[in-house]
Amino acid sequence: MSSTLADLSIATFAIHEVVEGTRTGRDGSTLVVDVPQLAVGARSDALAEVTVEVVRPDDPVRIANVLDVVLPDVGADDLDGTFPGLLDHGRREWFPTGRIHRVDGVVVLSVCDWRAAGAPDADELPDAYVDMAGPGVDRNPWAGDVAVVVRCVPAPGVPVADADAAVRRASLLVARALASTTLGESPDRIDLCRHPSTVEAAPDLPALAAVLQIASEGPLVDTFRLGRAMGTFAPTVVDPREPLAGAIVSGAYDWPAVRNVTAVYQGSALVRELLAGHGERFRMAGLVLAPGYLDGADEKQRAASRTAELLAELDADAAVCTTFSSGNSHTDTMLTIRACEQRGIAAVGVLAETNGGLTDHVPEADCLVSTGNEDELVDAWTPERVIGTEGDARVGEQVPTWAYVGACVETGDARLTAVPA
Amino acid sequence: MCITALPTIAQMVGANRILRGVAITHPTGDPSRSVDDERAFRRQIVERAVEMLATDVEPRTVWELQP
Amino acid sequence: MTTARGPIVHYLNQFFAGLGGEEAAGHEAVRIDGPVGPGRALAAAGLAPDVTLACGDDRFGEHEEESLGTLLAWLDQLRPAVLVCGPAFGSGRYGYACGVLAREAGRRGIPVVTAMTPDSPGVIAAEGAAYVVPSGSNVAAMKDVVPVVARLALTLAAGDQPGPPDEEGYLPRARRANVLVERTGAERAIELVLVKLRGDVRTEIEPPAELVHPAPAVADPRTVTVALVTESGCVPVGNPDRLQTRRAATWLRYPIDGLGSLDADAYTSVHAGFDTSNAQADPNRLVPLDAARALERDGAIGRLHGEFYTTSGVDTPVASAVAIGREIAAALREAQVGAVILTGT
Repeated sequence: MSSTLADLSIATFAIHEVVEGTRTGRDGSTLVVDVPQLAVGARSDALAEVTVEVVRPDDPVRIANVLDVVLPDVGADDLDGTFPGLLDHGRREWFPTGRIHRVDGVVVLSVCDWRAAGAPDADELPDAYVDMAGPGVDRNPWAGDVAVVVRCVPAPGVPVADADAAVRRASLLVARALASTTLGESPDRIDLCRHPSTVEAAPDLPALAAVLQIASEGPLVDTFRLGRAMGTFAPTVVDPREPLAGAIVSGAYDWPAVRNVTAVYQGSALVRELLAGHGERFRMAGLVLAPGYLDGADEKQRAASRTAELLAELDADAAVCTTFSSGNSHTDTMLTIRACEQRGIAAVGVLAETNGGLTDHVPEADCLVSTGNEDELVDAWTPERVIGTEGDARVGEQVPTWAYVGACVETGDARLTAVPA
Repeated sequence: MCITALPTIAQMVGANRILRGVAITHPTGDPSRSVDDERAFRRQIVERAVEMLATDVEPRTVWELQP
Repeated sequence: MTTARGPIVHYLNQFFAGLGGEEAAGHEAVRIDGPVGPGRALAAAGLAPDVTLACGDDRFGEHEEESLGTLLAWLDQLRPAVLVCGPAFGSGRYGYACGVLAREAGRRGIPVVTAMTPDSPGVIAAEGAAYVVPSGSNVAAMKDVVPVVARLALTLAAGDQPGPPDEEGYLPRARRANVLVERTGAERAIELVLVKLRGDVRTEIEPPAELVHPAPAVADPRTVTVALVTESGCVPVGNPDRLQTRRAATWLRYPIDGLGSLDADAYTSVHAGFDTSNAQADPNRLVPLDAARALERDGAIGRLHGEFYTTSGVDTPVASAVAIGREIAAALREAQVGAVILTGT
């Protein structure tokens, strides 16, 4: 079998408790973390300060200025290939194959107060919270996981893109270090992620494809694939295991509730469901990465048509079309749904709602999944501690759902939905 | 496209090309100007309206008279 | 005697606040101690406003950010237990102001009660933030709605939740509430699309009635036929075909071929919702025929369609507005009109 289509296996190690200790390691279902050592390992000249802190479920803590959520992963056969392109120096060939060790029960949160650091345009970055307890906890898709918070302060005078790269590297290094405690150990579970073309499936099963919408618009609103900012890309068919294997990493700090954090690529519920169900209820036709936030009606239409064309080449009977954030990316989703339906490909769209209704709609979008109402206010809460800002964190005030990281993510990874009140 | 001094209402009911009119009681006029000035002003308004018709827009877009 | 957890605040427009009629529609926002106008009726029903805020309808509509800013700053200071807006009855502008203020007050956690006709734009503007008591079109409905509004507001002011809409007399709120469910969005999406493949179309978000994807831009305006349409109630002097001045269920069309302008002695407006004196002095201020004709003459547009279409857009039931729009659109399609300039008041 070609090495490019070899199996990917994700070996999961369940962690139920995280304690601080003098050496980062694993003892059964307890993870021991040497917090100062982890922070030292994440240092960079572009950062004035890096701290690591453990926050547990039900701790009365609000974490503010959350940039990203990362699952602790390590490439068991290829340490340098973990988060390819971002933790190694210069890329050789990499495929989403081999064995990944993943810690389940712990997430790494990357935190940086860009505003306090004086980053240009930081005022436009919305508040981004994760609550570990209180009424906002059901807006936290990772509420049951221990959060290892990597908080960075950029060094003065460093260009924002460089500081951001250092912040990202810090959280990915910590994620890999945590997962590395499992090397050589037996996992609690192994998920075999086989490329669908290597698995027999009855030809009369319906062929389902996934369209993963991604945007990458510049520093602080970027997405990285194999270490490179994706920018404005053309719709592309990729190995469906790519996101699961850490090839796609978020550097976008726009609207928190609908932010595609790295964890939703690594853990992609959509891709995993399609791979797992291949040969049973359906066949998985493939994965298309499609651009969101394209400028201008013509560009949007061309990309939507091209996506539908790729889906037709994959012989897809149906497609699940995800969305990246809010605003005019919803138009990209709608046009993609229309282009699919015009080619006889049944489409379902995944979208978040607001009190004002949908941002855009086409008649062909008759099948939509709601990932929740971003405008709904969550009751006021006064946490005992706020991490990630010295400033205002809406303590004691109602918080709109849109401010909670990942709450309404439109990749279909969360469990929030909206119903008539 | 529509010209109205209440663009938000137009947005709410699904209009996509909305030009903010001068006032509720005179969307395409301005009684405070001289007759000739007003006529020239109205021409600019309608030219802007035609420009909007010839421009691709996102849903519920509002333009001002002066760009 | 209320057990309100803060002051009762009442919002009115210029007319109900006693600041004047249409000529005061541009009045800036003001703050008055105690109840005013309908606020006294609320007081008699057990809900005495501590503070009244008022703003001219045109002022709010045309300077929304500034007016809202002032009103919200007062609300932030006052921290009301409840805000009552209106009743606005059938006034679209007043209803709209009530709805927007309700929405913004709602974002600040202030409970709001308002009253207006169910078709008022204020209902949509409120985005479910207010308890909207449906009312008749004019002030005769005051005695019916005041007790309902007062009762709802007293409940909210005490920190309690009203009962269901049909019991308490308010419109079902168009709110979408978040719930955590068993299955991820991905799992539900896969199931929905498999079911769609079998011909059963289901959705978690209903298609919105008001949303239409934008039409593609006119490729070359110099070749397009443009039609003028208006809801300003512009008609020939004398209103020969008896266009309704409010609650119109019909539309009319009048020839303009060869006409260079809408002259004041030939055209007027019968719209009951705004002060038509400026428009009557020069109807081109409502339907810009003179300017459109000039553009046609200069080749900036291909042709001006030979008729303009008119109705009165005040207190119009939504169903009527939709029907009118559809019919006019069908007429325009048949006449091969490529673009429309619609003027609204």
